[in-house]
Amino acid sequence: MKYFWIQLLLIAGSLSMALVFIRTWGQAKNRAWKRIAFSVFVVVNVYAVLRPTDVTWLAHKLGVGRGTDLVLYVMVLAMGFLTLNTFLRFRSLEKKITDLARTVALNEGARHNDERLGKPEEGADSGSAKVKA
Amino acid sequence: MPARDVPPINAHANVPLSAGATVSQYDDVWLVIPAYNEGQVIAGVVEDARKTFPHIVVVDDGSTDDSAEHIATTGAHLVRHPVNLGQGAALQTGLKYALAQPGARYFATFDADGQHQTADVEKMVEVLRRDEADVVLGSRFIEQNGQVPWIKRVVLRTAAAVSPTARKLKLTDAHNGLRVLSRKAAEQLNITMNGMAHASEIVGFLAASDLRVAEVPVDILYTEYSRAKGQSLINGVNIVFDITMRERDR
Repeated sequence: MKYFWIQLLLIAGSLSMALVFIRTWGQAKNRAWKRIAFSVFVVVNVYAVLRPTDVTWLAHKLGVGRGTDLVLYVMVLAMGFLTLNTFLRFRSLEKKITDLARTVALNEGARHNDERLGKPEEGADSGSAKVKA
Repeated sequence: MPARDVPPINAHANVPLSAGATVSQYDDVWLVIPAYNEGQVIAGVVEDARKTFPHIVVVDDGSTDDSAEHIATTGAHLVRHPVNLGQGAALQTGLKYALAQPGARYFATFDADGQHQTADVEKMVEVLRRDEADVVLGSRFIEQNGQVPWIKRVVLRTAAAVSPTARKLKLTDAHNGLRVLSRKAAEQLNITMNGMAHASEIVGFLAASDLRVAEVPVDILYTEYSRAKGQSLINGVNIVFDITMRERDR
C-alpha cells in the first residue's frame, strides 16, 4: 500500500488525459488547455527549482521517496503526451500533404495525358472529363 | 464500426472465360497500377496488361528512378505524385482519376511488379458483369496453388483469421492487392491510410458497407523481383500500429 497514492495518481492521470486529449484533438478548446498546461508546467518548474524541499514534502505526501523521483515520474508523463501530440500533429499534416499532392497530380496528369494520348474519343462531352480533385 | 450483415458470396472458380477476347470487350474496365521505383519492370507489365485491358492508369508515387519515363513510353495514362506518399495514397489517386474517365464502369487494382495476371482480372470482371457482387477480391488461398512461401501463408492466413472484419466477410485472404470494384464501390471507397495499412482499411470499409463482396482464386507469381520488392513480414507491425491509430485524428 506504500505506493498506492502515487500509482493511482499516475495511472489515472495518464489514462484520463489520454482520453480527453484524443477525443478533443484539433478543437480550439484543446489547444487552449494545452497552452494553459504548458504555462503551469513552466511555473511549477521554476518553483521546484527554487524550493526543492517543497517538492520533497509533496513527494512524501504522495508516498514517493524523494522529490526528484516525483519530478521524474511527471517528466515521463509529459514525455508521453508530447510524443502522442507530435504523432497526431504529423498525421494531420500528412493528410493535408496527401490532399495537396493528389490535387496537383490529377490536374497535371489530366493535362499531360490529353497531350500525350489524345483526348478520349467518346464524342463531344469528352472534353468535360476533367478530374475534379 | 456499424455492424450490418453482409451476405458474403464466395464465387469460386468455374467462371467461363469467353475465348478470343477483343480489346473493346474491356473498354469499360480501368486498371489502376501504383508504382514506386519500378523502372525495371513497369513498361513490360503495362504493355502486357494492355494486350487485354486498353485503359490503364499508372500512378507514379514520386519515384526516384526512371519509372515515369518508362511509363511514358507505354499507352497507359500517367499520374505523378510530386512526392512519395505511399501505396494506399497512390491507389486512391488512381481510382479518382479513373472514375473521372468517360465510360469507366469497373476498376481493378493491379500490382506494378508483375505478380498479378490479367486472366485473373478477366475472371473477376465477369463476376461483376453478372452482377453477383460489387467488389471482387483476389485470394491466394481458395485453391491451394503451392506458390505462396509457407511462412507467408501462415502469417497471412492468421491475419485473415484474427481480423474481425475479414472474418465477418468470410475472407480467406485479407491482404491481396488484386481487386476489382464496381463504380458504385469505387465511388464510396476513400483510402486514408497512405501506407501499406490500406489493405486492412479496404476490408474494414467493405465490412461496414452494404456492398456485396466476393472472392475469386488468383495465381500470384512470386518472381525473384517481386520477392525482393514485396513486403517483409515485419512490416505487419507497422500495419497493426497504423490501423490502431487511424481513427484518432478525425
